[in-house]
Amino acid sequence: MKLSPEEKRIMDKMQPGILTVDGFLGNDTRNLHEILQEDAETIEAYGYTAEDIGKRMRYFTERSKEAYEEPILIDQKYLVQQDIWRGKVVCPFPHKGLYTKADIHLKNIENNIEISWTPLNIHFIEEHGFFEGKGSKHRIDPETIIKALF
Amino acid sequence: MEILYNILTATIISGSLSIILVIAEYFFANYGDCKITVNNKKEIVVKGGGNLLNALAENKIFIPSACGGRGSCGFCKVKALDGAGPVLPTEKPYLSASELKDSIRLSCQIKVRQDIKIHIPEELFNIKKFKAKIVEIIDYTYDIKGITFQLLEPNTVDFKAGQYMQLETPKYEKSKQVISRAYSISSIPDIKDSIQLIIRRVPDGICTTWVHDYMKLGDIVNLVGPFGDFYIRDTEADIIYVAGGSGKAPIKSMIEHFAKYQSTRKMTYFFGARTTKDLYLTEEFQEYEKTMPDFTYVPVLSAPSPDDGWTGKTGFIPPYFKDYIRDPLNTEAYLCGSPGMIAAVEKELINLGVAKDKIYFDSF
Repeated sequence: MKLSPEEKRIMDKMQPGILTVDGFLGNDTRNLHEILQEDAETIEAYGYTAEDIGKRMRYFTERSKEAYEEPILIDQKYLVQQDIWRGKVVCPFPHKGLYTKADIHLKNIENNIEISWTPLNIHFIEEHGFFEGKGSKHRIDPETIIKALF
Repeated sequence: MEILYNILTATIISGSLSIILVIAEYFFANYGDCKITVNNKKEIVVKGGGNLLNALAENKIFIPSACGGRGSCGFCKVKALDGAGPVLPTEKPYLSASELKDSIRLSCQIKVRQDIKIHIPEELFNIKKFKAKIVEIIDYTYDIKGITFQLLEPNTVDFKAGQYMQLETPKYEKSKQVISRAYSISSIPDIKDSIQLIIRRVPDGICTTWVHDYMKLGDIVNLVGPFGDFYIRDTEADIIYVAGGSGKAPIKSMIEHFAKYQSTRKMTYFFGARTTKDLYLTEEFQEYEKTMPDFTYVPVLSAPSPDDGWTGKTGFIPPYFKDYIRDPLNTEAYLCGSPGMIAAVEKELINLGVAKDKIYFDSF
């Protein structure tokens, strides 16, 4: 399918050096709608929605703030630590919003799966179903995140 | 097949019309000179056709903007009283209902095509764009640098301890455009011909990557400012400071300012860090304890490693407040850090009796 002007504008903003050094698409050659569709199919196959995943990420992000950037064991199963940086980043999709620059690291100590995300990742997933392109620094593989969080 | 043909035809027609419109605007749209009236007291005349943010900047009126006018930060708001045209779809996501009602607009999205009247905060008239040369780079820690900028044009600046500047970083290998980011000034207001900024590396950050990996002595950059209402109030109250990491920048400016005048105010600075690797300027702040008898520097490590040999305070900072606050009703606090840290510190200070309106902060 051809890129709509809107999709092209969004993908242009996702390129390296526009909003962040590395951008959000990595070395993925697919168009945005193809990335969204494939990842949506993956999470659907596991019986989850993007909202379910985003809600879970938000839960760990908020709980980890209790430890002020130190590791915290949550629900006896998840070791979570948050690093917060100065500044905010905007979303490349066209809407209002600034997102804190932070990295949240989670280790599921039952299956040893480790993942990291940013507050923008939560928004991407919750609102846009976007897990970032393959090869992107902050891409979270939908299958991996489901295994880590649930 | 017929549907595809129709879509293709429509696409070609609309595309052609768009191109014709762009060409026509380029060659035929002559808006002439347009007058911008600011706060009913300053009038500037610009060539019509450009955006308001740039038109104002070219006339040395600098509206805060973190994205350089790309319509993605929502910072460059002005009150448009007349002549700004309709609100664009690109602005609406950044404007609340009350802002829309109050004629607030994004100046980067307003095209100057006729005379315009706007209103901006008075303090923005004091903001200047400085050309500056990098004359000193200090590695304070593995991820924090102190950079001194010699001001070239204009060659002096007036600011209040605690305010910030916007640093414009040039296009470089990892950035396709000039971008600007805000950093607190860490030098004192008495030094007028240079300023120092303290900048911590932000992973994937365009500006801090340039600062940490590409910037070198002698580079010429632009700074815009000073901005901000995080500055020392002119009182005699006791002061609690709390800031870690690069949050030390505005606090350094404030305390060095007091040290220069040998202040007798009772002041306590809690500096939060994870390990000894994250401590910096420790000797300098301990030195201020000698020149200012009522100043105390309290570094607190949240996760010292056994190798650190740390014998100082550990854990979270708020539990230590009660040992240092002698009169909560006569205490001000200046905080710089993450929203979570500020919320926790503010909560504890209020619990101890410090007035909420005496707690000032610069949130990341």
